[in-house]
Amino acid sequence: MGTRHRPSVRGMLFAALAFGALALAGCSTLPASTLDTYGDHARRIYELLVPIAWMALAVFLVVEGALIYTVLRYRRRAAGTMPRQVHGNTKVEIMWTIAPALIVVIISVLTFRTQAANSQMPADALQVRAIGHQWWFEFRYPEQGAELDPADCTKSDPKECPKRADLVTASDLYIPVGRPVTVQLEAADVMHNFWVPKLAGKTYMIPGKINYLTFTAEQAGIYRAVCAEFCGEAHALMRFRVIALEQAEYDSWVAQHRVAPVIGGNGVLGGDPNRGKELFLNARNLCITCHVIDGTGAKGIVGPNLSYYGSRQTIAAGIMPYSPENLERWLKHGYELKPGNLMSRVLTRDWIAANLTDQDIKDLVAYLDSMKVSIASPPAR
Amino acid sequence: MAIAQGHVGHASAPPATHVPAGLAGWLSTVDHKRIGIIYMLAAFVFFIIGGIEALLMRVQLGTPENTFLTPDFYNQLFTMHGTTMIFLAVMPMNVGLGNYIVPLMIGARDMAFPRLNAMSVWLFILGGLMLYFSFFAGGAPNMGWFAYAPLTQKPYSPTFGVDYWILGLLLTGVASIAGALNFIVTILNMRAPGLSLNRMPLFVWMQLVVAFILVFAFPALTVAQIELLFDRHFGTRFFVPSQGGDAVLWQHLFWFFGHPEVYILILPVMGIVSETLPTFSRKPIFGYAFVAFSGVAIGFLGFLVWAHHMFGVGLGPLANAFFAGASFLIAVPTGVKIFNWIATMYDGALTLTTSMLYSIGFIAMFIIGGLSGITLASPPVDLQQTDSYYVVAHLHYVLFGGSILGLFAGIFYWFPKVSGRMLDERLGKVQFWLMMISFNVTFFPMHIIGTDGMPRRIYTYESGMGWDLWNLVATVGSFLMAASVLLFLWNLMVSLRRGAPAGNDPWDAATLEWSVSSPPPVHNFDQIPVVQSRRPLWDHKYPEHAGDDHGAAAPDPLLAGFEQPAIHLPSPTYNPLILGVGLTTLFFGILYSSIPPLSISLAIAGLALVALAIVGWVRDSHKDSPYAAH
Repeated sequence: MGTRHRPSVRGMLFAALAFGALALAGCSTLPASTLDTYGDHARRIYELLVPIAWMALAVFLVVEGALIYTVLRYRRRAAGTMPRQVHGNTKVEIMWTIAPALIVVIISVLTFRTQAANSQMPADALQVRAIGHQWWFEFRYPEQGAELDPADCTKSDPKECPKRADLVTASDLYIPVGRPVTVQLEAADVMHNFWVPKLAGKTYMIPGKINYLTFTAEQAGIYRAVCAEFCGEAHALMRFRVIALEQAEYDSWVAQHRVAPVIGGNGVLGGDPNRGKELFLNARNLCITCHVIDGTGAKGIVGPNLSYYGSRQTIAAGIMPYSPENLERWLKHGYELKPGNLMSRVLTRDWIAANLTDQDIKDLVAYLDSMKVSIASPPAR
Repeated sequence: MAIAQGHVGHASAPPATHVPAGLAGWLSTVDHKRIGIIYMLAAFVFFIIGGIEALLMRVQLGTPENTFLTPDFYNQLFTMHGTTMIFLAVMPMNVGLGNYIVPLMIGARDMAFPRLNAMSVWLFILGGLMLYFSFFAGGAPNMGWFAYAPLTQKPYSPTFGVDYWILGLLLTGVASIAGALNFIVTILNMRAPGLSLNRMPLFVWMQLVVAFILVFAFPALTVAQIELLFDRHFGTRFFVPSQGGDAVLWQHLFWFFGHPEVYILILPVMGIVSETLPTFSRKPIFGYAFVAFSGVAIGFLGFLVWAHHMFGVGLGPLANAFFAGASFLIAVPTGVKIFNWIATMYDGALTLTTSMLYSIGFIAMFIIGGLSGITLASPPVDLQQTDSYYVVAHLHYVLFGGSILGLFAGIFYWFPKVSGRMLDERLGKVQFWLMMISFNVTFFPMHIIGTDGMPRRIYTYESGMGWDLWNLVATVGSFLMAASVLLFLWNLMVSLRRGAPAGNDPWDAATLEWSVSSPPPVHNFDQIPVVQSRRPLWDHKYPEHAGDDHGAAAPDPLLAGFEQPAIHLPSPTYNPLILGVGLTTLFFGILYSSIPPLSISLAIAGLALVALAIVGWVRDSHKDSPYAAH
């Protein structure tokens, strides 16, 4: 993990002294550690946590120490000993009322400083919309997609006409490194929560309300992220990835992705991508009822946009890494891989058995796999 | 004097009031002591059930990608575990102890409203049973004990689970509010002569504070639940954002109740250790007024911090800063209490009984829960820790390491008074150490996996996240905790039959409940005591060590002429139970509003029972016959 390794001496002291939780995690390169930060938002939180944890550790040692000392010191008095009947001492009371109050004031000041820094929204930040659905994330990059024909615009003032459509992805959020990103958080059904532990703290996605979260990825990488608010049956399987690319690489990704995908290659798993495309676009097979693929007749709005599916990091909102084999498993056994998922409520086990042959599924996999964006993949963090 | 005292095992019945024998006597009882026992037994049963739910979840999480439980059943379990432990285990255990002990501590013969008291205990039990009936009626609630909108709406939660959750808890809510009013009136009006508020035992102080918190906090939950019920059954849209409702409104209402609820769970326990620590240190509590008023301060501040459960909701930095500041502030009175407890032990003559060990364990664990609470009160840090296992660790250090360890302290302390027999001390100490170790083995690792990014409320997780080992450790720990609880159960059953006789005052304590026999007579006191100090029994036993800050206690000449009132006891009645059954039946009728014939017949039957019970209840008061003990 390189330069960001946390000092392990500090960590061992923490661990030895019962506040080890924080540090044990800090010395690690664990995929979702909140202490191993690569984004400014998460880093400032870490930098606030450290002094608070030290103060907490000091209080812990003093108070538990006093407790243990008192118990050990006065436990073996002879039976019948009558201790001095002390009822209190106002000076002492005032002292130990003020002491915690002072600590609290210090923590408050530190807290408010970090709050101010982490709630900044620079005007030049890249704007992205993230929309939570049961149980996947949709990402929209306003006016980054295909060029629109001004003739199609219905607005009375031509200046208000967008020049480009939204660029849309699902389960993978692409951002540039080093530039602030403001994510506009929304929810389509119930509450969700947007959490990329290594980049930023959580923020709710609330139906009927818009939230904003601004952060800057400080290094290129693929970051794990989850929905952190319980949102129903498959909440545990609602994950996503944030892919932070160097600016040039990001620009290349946008330029490629805004062009409608075409079939490339001869197909994986012995499937025929062209036949797969026909199957996909055949309304009988229900794919296009929910899904979009740019530049085709698939214009559903309920499910994730599947353009450039072959470049996805994961399948079914992060439940397994992307590979043609896993995709085949997902299409065959979705109902048991992700219980409750909305697609399997329609495409049940029986429906699949009755309507799709194994070869059909291989063809569909070949088609979805054939749409790829060509970029250098950054390291998984 | 018709009352025989001191017979272990059976209380003497007052001569003029007929108490039915056996089960009938329990079902018709209006005696605060019996009601307290029913509360505690029921709470203990629910505690065991909630614990089993926790064990099932720990098995599921013991290994990554486990398939022991289905996702939906896991979601039902964590919803029921939280709901059970909060509403059906810890709260009623506190209420039960208070019910039994408070009248004895303040020199009263019963609670102010004995029949209302009986209604409360039955409504609590019936509410709990109704909630659990959902398992057999299409599935338990599965949306979390916090029931965030709009997941609770029909399209997302189509089973009756949410409705059972609403209506079951409404029943327990009625019980809680009626019980709280009963405590307030009892404590403010029925104290023995001379027992001013300034002399009141701290356990009673904390019960009073909690009763006030309850009366102000519970209505917010009740309102929210009724609105949700209307959303689901009668087409309102309070929490439907797509139709003009507000999902965040639910959170405000819920946490306006939910945070004070934390203090409802912990303050009575702070009261317990404020009794046990002085007793087992042979000293008065250090800083009586500071301990009492820090409890009041915590109760008051508890109403100003609810949005610290909502830092991620996007209320804005200014609102978050206010609620963060108020939350930090609670550290001050909490710290004051802890320092005073330690100072109480300082220079004392400590007797490390099981009750004392649990009291010390309570302080030690509560400190950890308090410190992890400080990080959660800081909004930026909270954004990383909230909804992760760090919060699970924190809340269990407060509610298990705090409330439940403290309740064990109280149970070991007062069991001899309630049963007339001692709990086995050796078993108790083994159980204490097993509990302390296993509790930390279970919950401490959750700080680590939370910090390593494990979210709450997930039924499965991937391997390779660094969570596997600690989850397994926590699972092992949870079964050791279960073994400790079983050991306690064993101790309870053995000691009830074969425990050493307790006598009136086994701990050489200071408060009035130890001046009467164990168990106490039905009417508690042959003569209402006249109280001259904060430690009436202590001052009676050790006059040379009596008095308080203001010098030795001097008999108040005005009290010398106190005329003993005739003993007036309410007669047993089934009407509170009938009313509870009627209300529950009515609630079932509301629940099945989508099936009109069933709904209407249940509602009519329920209302008829309620009406019958009210008429009977009004007539009950005429049956009470005072009898003279002199």
